[in-house]
Amino acid sequence: MSATDPAAVPGTVPGRPLSLDPSLAPPGSRDFRDAGGIPADRWHADQNQETLVPTHCCFCGVQCGMYLRVDRHGKVFGVEPRNHDINRMRLCPKGINAYQQVNHPDRLTAPLMRDNRDQEFREVSWDEALDRTVAEIHRIRTEYGDDAFGLLGGASLFSEKTYLVGKFARVALKTRHVDYNGRLCMVSAAGANKLAFGIDRAGNPFSDILLTDCLLIAGSNVGECFPVMTQYVWGARDRGATLIVVDPRETAIARTADVHVALKPGTDSAFFNAVLNVVVAEGLTDEAHLAARTTGWDEVKRTVAEYPPSRAARICGVPEEQIVQVARMFAGADRAMAWHARGIEHHSQGVENCLTVINLCVATGNIGKPGAGYGTITGQGNGQGGREHGQKSDLLPGGRSITNPEHRRQICEIWGIDETELPAAGTSMMEMVWQMQRQEIRGLIGICNNPFVSLPNYATVKNGYDTLQFHAQFDFFLSETAANAHVVFPVTVWAEDEGVMANAEARVVKHNKAQEPPAGVRTDTWVLCELARRLGAGDKFAFPDSRSVFEELRVASAGTVNDYYGITYERLEQTGGIAWPCPTTDHPGTPRLFEDGRSYHPDGKIHLQTVEWHPPMDPYSEEFPLSLTTGRTVAHFLSGNQTRRLAGLVEQTPRPWVEVHPSHGFRNGDPVRVVTRRGSEVFPALVTDAIRPDTVFVPYHWPVPTAANALTIDALDPRSKIPEYKVCAARVEAAERIDEVPAPPTSPGQPAYPEAQVSRTDPLPPTSPQGRGTAERS
Amino acid sequence: MMGRTIFIDPGRCIGCQACVSACRECDSHRGKSMIHLDYPDEGRSVASLPTVCMHCEDPVAPCAEVCPADAILVTPDGVVQQADTTRCIGCANCVNACPFGVPKIDLQAKLQMKCNLCYDRTAYGLAPMCATVCPTGALFYGTVEELRAERPGVQVADSFTFGTTTVSTGVAMVVPADKVQWPVPGGLPVVEINGKDVR
Amino acid sequence: MTEPPQTAEPTPPPGGPAPASGATDPAAADPPPQSPGAVRRRASLVGAVVSALLVVAIVLGSRLLRDFDSALLPYAVATVFLAFGVAYRYTVWISAPGARRLFRKGWGSFFSVANFRSAPTALPRMIATYLGFQKFLGARSHARWAAHQLVFWGCLLAAAITFPLTWGWFTFTSSTGSGPGYEMRIWGFKVLGFDSLNIVGWLMFHGLDIAAVLVIPGAGYFLWRRMKDRGAITGQRFAYDLVPLLALIVISVTGLLLTFSSIFLHGGGYEFLAVLHMVSVVFTLIYIPFGKFFHIVQRPAAVGMQLFKYTSRRKDEGGEVFACRRCGQPVDTAPYVENLQGTMRDLDLGFADWAEYCPRCKRVLRGTAYLDHVKKGFK
Repeated sequence: MSATDPAAVPGTVPGRPLSLDPSLAPPGSRDFRDAGGIPADRWHADQNQETLVPTHCCFCGVQCGMYLRVDRHGKVFGVEPRNHDINRMRLCPKGINAYQQVNHPDRLTAPLMRDNRDQEFREVSWDEALDRTVAEIHRIRTEYGDDAFGLLGGASLFSEKTYLVGKFARVALKTRHVDYNGRLCMVSAAGANKLAFGIDRAGNPFSDILLTDCLLIAGSNVGECFPVMTQYVWGARDRGATLIVVDPRETAIARTADVHVALKPGTDSAFFNAVLNVVVAEGLTDEAHLAARTTGWDEVKRTVAEYPPSRAARICGVPEEQIVQVARMFAGADRAMAWHARGIEHHSQGVENCLTVINLCVATGNIGKPGAGYGTITGQGNGQGGREHGQKSDLLPGGRSITNPEHRRQICEIWGIDETELPAAGTSMMEMVWQMQRQEIRGLIGICNNPFVSLPNYATVKNGYDTLQFHAQFDFFLSETAANAHVVFPVTVWAEDEGVMANAEARVVKHNKAQEPPAGVRTDTWVLCELARRLGAGDKFAFPDSRSVFEELRVASAGTVNDYYGITYERLEQTGGIAWPCPTTDHPGTPRLFEDGRSYHPDGKIHLQTVEWHPPMDPYSEEFPLSLTTGRTVAHFLSGNQTRRLAGLVEQTPRPWVEVHPSHGFRNGDPVRVVTRRGSEVFPALVTDAIRPDTVFVPYHWPVPTAANALTIDALDPRSKIPEYKVCAARVEAAERIDEVPAPPTSPGQPAYPEAQVSRTDPLPPTSPQGRGTAERS
Repeated sequence: MMGRTIFIDPGRCIGCQACVSACRECDSHRGKSMIHLDYPDEGRSVASLPTVCMHCEDPVAPCAEVCPADAILVTPDGVVQQADTTRCIGCANCVNACPFGVPKIDLQAKLQMKCNLCYDRTAYGLAPMCATVCPTGALFYGTVEELRAERPGVQVADSFTFGTTTVSTGVAMVVPADKVQWPVPGGLPVVEINGKDVR
Repeated sequence: MTEPPQTAEPTPPPGGPAPASGATDPAAADPPPQSPGAVRRRASLVGAVVSALLVVAIVLGSRLLRDFDSALLPYAVATVFLAFGVAYRYTVWISAPGARRLFRKGWGSFFSVANFRSAPTALPRMIATYLGFQKFLGARSHARWAAHQLVFWGCLLAAAITFPLTWGWFTFTSSTGSGPGYEMRIWGFKVLGFDSLNIVGWLMFHGLDIAAVLVIPGAGYFLWRRMKDRGAITGQRFAYDLVPLLALIVISVTGLLLTFSSIFLHGGGYEFLAVLHMVSVVFTLIYIPFGKFFHIVQRPAAVGMQLFKYTSRRKDEGGEVFACRRCGQPVDTAPYVENLQGTMRDLDLGFADWAEYCPRCKRVLRGTAYLDHVKKGFK
């Protein structure tokens, strides 16, 4: 027997004599090119005088604890598991590789500037970059008004910085146009939480999952997006809990679930209404609880009566019996719990989808008890904290509403400004892009976001940003968006500053500083304060560090629902995390909400809301019969600006793919063009039975021409303004050639770290959505 | 027989490859990952299988037995060590003889490398990197009693069949409590390849 | 430092005939492995013969002990023990199934006339690459390569000088005292005449000092690394990993001090240093067969192995590559796989057929079997 293709045999070069060392070894047993971006012989394990700095991961909303290993020269060089009670030493591949960002060769270390987008960037001094930015702000405000300058923040920033973003916009820029990339992430859940409970956070801590008898996970690929949370899911099952997963794809947790509801994308509210319909019909509701603690139950009951399982089965494309089974399993359990994520939130009825899940939990009395409750899993590290303190267009610190006169007065008092100076509510991130296209916004500062990859309908986004007269961006790697800007400010990574984040449980955790930033790099806090000073608002921004910002944040949140007053840096260091509300410094925090049965509405009741299902905004047609849904893969994070530079992660998943059911007739690796009304792109096919035949999936971490978001629709939920990432109409067709993944952008004259980019151009799809098996790495 | 060792449960594995990245962080072979993560049900499901060295006990370490240079040592605690750097001649006998497909070889360095149960950590009582970070407990390090404390009633098996041969190992697999399959099938004899019956 | 208490090397199972399944395999025609007792007896015999031959060679080479320097007697005795030990260990080593088969294949390729004709330069090039310049060490780490080269050439130089000297094979005679007229003789025959005061003379007399200067930084680096590098520290054993380095350093330092003593101290402390030096050398020589230094004897097997693989690959430029029976990816050369299967049958490992599948397919097949027969999912 001989090898199928001798040319592929290592050590043999066709037409050349056999090398003196023609050794070969089977695939997967001979490759060590996964040295985490550093050639293996340059790795050193001779760090005898290391210190371990306790901190948390910079990535997702689980906020796993970790130690950063710091060598005797004060440089971060590794990671060590930390027995923090969120993650109990567990880490996912992103978390393990996170430290490699800190001293990565692609880091920006000097401000970049150019006069227009046709020029190359040039490195300039901080003064030059700041002066130019301030001059442009002045010019645009003078010519077009204060609201013509916008500010976009991010939910991977520490809470202190998100607070500063909001304050900077309102006090220094004096613009109404401020929003943040959490708008693309968890705002639907936030909207639903506010409507139903009057408080915006998960009801229960992760540890309650271990106590539940039935766990329902809707629209969350926990195994890939929140891998470390899986230990709670499995822990619950070890103790006998049943698991229900609602997801169009058979993900890692869906694969072994007791019930996997593989519904059609965009039909979640029909499904949950039908489940509640069965619960009502079978008398499994907790009527006493409903009568005492809720409003609107009769209306909800009337609405769900319109959703018998037969109707929902038709809409959702799932068997009728499965709906009944889920209803009995969930409502029949002593303690049941529902967690959801972007799968049901990224919809034009995202808020309503979340409300249907809340309705189900509340109707069955599963709220505010150990092992019984409800939660949303935030996607970004500070997805929870980032939306609380005023960088959202309609919110002020402490979750206050910018339209509420009392709230406005309180904040103006704290900030020391006149009430007339405080701008009105702004618009959402996607709407701001449309305003850029219409030239209503002419200048923009972006901090910690990458909309060129993360916003839907790339053509529109690019057009909006290109129309801007001035665009500055803060980042530590040159993102695709920053590469299109006029000024780029190099700022710190998370390990170079301290600050707090709130995880998916609303537990506030403290990140510690592990190393000094490289020369030329400043903290976001410094840059914002310096800009404010030059804009004449220096007295309101005299913050030397994160701690001083946090002190003001504590005061600003005191007495609100999102009360941080009792949380101090010292307490966080002692306890490892405190869940807000925490009104006093001797308050233990509030890991579980509603234990007394009261919501945070003035009447103390849970306000149930009726929901009618409607089809997704992008209509299906003969031309576009399939659903395109998008999501994450485990090795990458959001827009990929961080993870697409880390070799271990690039090796695991070098490129995006399109996941299709075998019924479409493609073979694995075939070039497949995915066409929607917004555009078309060619991906290698990952053919698998683990997806619905009427649905295709593309992960979204890569830029054009391999960007899922060049295909998605910029339709928004009317309330939360979240884009409908999770469903749009599409078709697939055979293509000639696969679109190649571009290298991540870098400073002029500096190529993206080559060791990390070796496998980027590999044309094959991964072995499985989680990545390439260790033996399939070319 | 079983002291502190790794217990593997592919049923819990989510295929995230945290173990693969973590293995690289182990100081005794920094930068080189020894663990294997395969997706054996490719095209049908996302099922995954992590493979660490099973530390064979009987027959004692086939890799060491086939080694022509006596390079693979088995320490008295049952850990099959990776090849001694001074002795290994890079012949790959261990790579191809191992019934579990574990050892790797650096062809340029003429050196075999494999999972040594993170000897730099386990020798100090720490868990190996992979089992420390594994988000799901698919890789668990400890005693069988510690495992049972976390997962009541769990059963484990530490032997595998390869054709007519049974290999018992230091590392064990989790098997269902209700239908204990013991020993665990090792894949040989091969009955079917790519849908074709090859018996 | 992690120091496991003791190391148990796996011993081959007690000899037994190759399993019947191997009957069709040509390799099964080989004699079955011998019992440990038989191996020990044979090894002792070989050791005795080799050391006897060395004694004869010493006697003859020193012109019936006329040139033998009795002051060096302990060294000479140590080399005889060394010869016995190396021969004994070598014989035991190549009696193990894996080594025995590779030994045959390696030497078979070495002595093959056809091989020599088709690729006359292959063997010398391999020897230079693997034994001389040790390129493979560079792939492990450049610093380790450099340090090893220092130690290697230093030891080689020292051995080339001292062994013949202690055996009385080299003699230096002078008709004039110091100065010109020095003669170096091997087995009594003059091979070189030189002036002890010029550079050649200096080099001749300070060869061992040069060797020491090479060895000290090399061994020093390795010792430092063994204190610092966590990869090296893992599983490190004092007797196996540190003693050889310490021995090399002690030998080199005492050797240099001898020179220092004779030049600058007029022989002060010479006696003590000489004894210390001798003890460390004798210890090291006797240690060679049993510890880390045995790799010096084993390493040429790498050339044998490489030559065997090279030859099998050459036969048909890739046509001899054995492909995995499931995925078709190359495993190794066909003669290699056949040889490995023979070894596995010798060892009574009942899964020799398994070697026809690549490691990934073995894992995938095992994973599939687990999914199909043990459990599909969580429960």
